[in-house]
Amino acid sequence: MKFVAIVGTNAKRSYNRMLLHYMQNHFDQATITVVDIQGIPMFNENHPETDPEAVVELAAAIAEADGVIIGCPEYNHSVPSPLKSVIEWLSYRLHPFADKPVMIVGASTYPQGSSRAQLHLRQILDSPGANAQVFPGNEFLLGQANRAFDDEGNLKDSGTIDFLTQCFDGFLDFVAMHQQFKKGDA
Amino acid sequence: MLLTAIVGTNADFSYNRLLLQYMQKHFKGLANIRIVEIDTLPPFSEDTPADMAVWRFKKAIQLSDGVIFSTPEYDHSIPAALKSAIEWLSYKSEVLKHKPAMIVGTSYGPQASSRAQEHLRQILASPDCDAYTLSGNEMLIGNAAKVFVDGNVTDRRIQAELEEYFVNFVKFIDQTAEGDDAMSMHQPYLDDAYINFPTGRLSFREVQQIFSTIPFEIDLIDHNDKFSWFSNKPNREHVRSVREIGEGVEECHPPKALPIVMKIINSFKDGSQDSVSRPLMMHGHRVLIQYYALRDVDGSYLGTIEFTGSVEHILNFYEQGAWSDAATGASQTDGTTGASEHAETAPDETPEPKPKADSSDGTSGASEH
Repeated sequence: MKFVAIVGTNAKRSYNRMLLHYMQNHFDQATITVVDIQGIPMFNENHPETDPEAVVELAAAIAEADGVIIGCPEYNHSVPSPLKSVIEWLSYRLHPFADKPVMIVGASTYPQGSSRAQLHLRQILDSPGANAQVFPGNEFLLGQANRAFDDEGNLKDSGTIDFLTQCFDGFLDFVAMHQQFKKGDA
Repeated sequence: MLLTAIVGTNADFSYNRLLLQYMQKHFKGLANIRIVEIDTLPPFSEDTPADMAVWRFKKAIQLSDGVIFSTPEYDHSIPAALKSAIEWLSYKSEVLKHKPAMIVGTSYGPQASSRAQEHLRQILASPDCDAYTLSGNEMLIGNAAKVFVDGNVTDRRIQAELEEYFVNFVKFIDQTAEGDDAMSMHQPYLDDAYINFPTGRLSFREVQQIFSTIPFEIDLIDHNDKFSWFSNKPNREHVRSVREIGEGVEECHPPKALPIVMKIINSFKDGSQDSVSRPLMMHGHRVLIQYYALRDVDGSYLGTIEFTGSVEHILNFYEQGAWSDAATGASQTDGTTGASEHAETAPDETPEPKPKADSSDGTSGASEH
């Protein structure tokens, strides 16, 4: 399977980026491409009739993928504006999230592990413009992320790894089930 | 009452902008509403330094008595552009802290940005924002294209709802301000106490009134680089607000000026300089700004004072030949205030070290007789 993993921030240093790279290296049941969003401008509906190049490229990558993973930090109890901006672009002219399985994970340096931002993100992806198939339950909330990784970027705690693996396996089933359903549909 | 109203989108056309313009007009008897746009702000990033647009935006919020947010709804939440603006206001900044806030919104559809408004309430309640959002009041204007006719709201029911909400908001601000110590800062806290100087005693009231009377204004940046005090002088050259008290140097100066200010402060801290003078034009007259290292008796750094005033009257004296007979003038002015005037002008001519010696000249001169 092929997944696109979106780093939900434009910050140079991000534990969410580390988490996605960890998943990329750790899970061999799928090819995970980690995508950064620094190059995507602030969403603006005045933008001339075409979308920015970077948006079109990301939309194409998502359209081709079997699913999307979003690594979501929390700013002010909600989704960071750079990530919200990307979702706005991808729910405006192009709609690559429509019917696409999406898994949400998140990390923060506090114990909550971006829990409130993740809830907002679920609601946002559930809106008609995005219309994503968000993988329910399975909240992966990586708190105290500053202590979670070793020098090689690997998660240190085996319980955390087990839970992430459980979530990811669940997502693989969810994607398979979704594809099965689509096939039956066709 | 000064309110800042934030247009919650970067779009060229927005009914939320029209709503704020309507409120500005409709409530002009109750408050001065200043509308600010967010489309000139750079997208927020932890790695991007705040620019002039961000600085001005933060100042506008800080100096207002309350904030009105008018938000559209994008994907069941607030637009990224508005979220980005709030991130600027809350990242290493406390301008939203305890700031009364009012949320309104309008949309084409019947939902009227209800879900975005709910998210916005949660966002503004987060510890990094900590705004005082007025609860229990909502303004959800659906079917905007029908409601706004030539920029006016003519539906009496909507008008009444908006009027009730706005009056509640104004009352809410008044209540919030009552508990705010900053508003009673016209009087020093202990007005019957004295400070005993080696050279005599002053009551706290006298200290305050001396600062209000001398023709120069003084601002103090303390040893932690926080703006901690300014003299309460009428008609100041630099208009300061008590809301700015406690701000870091990097917050109270525009990004353009910051490097120069930091250079001066650092040179005072490391002892390489004790004063810096800057003559410039302000408000159409000649002004001299002097920065002094404020040092304890043992020489340790206590802070930086910015000493600012119009020098127009001094220069007028000079231009009228006041000191033209300087050679003989020395003996003539001996017993008058002339001696101390000479001493005060000395640091400008030699902005190099030793201003401590200069300023003590001034006082010892006066006490000689």
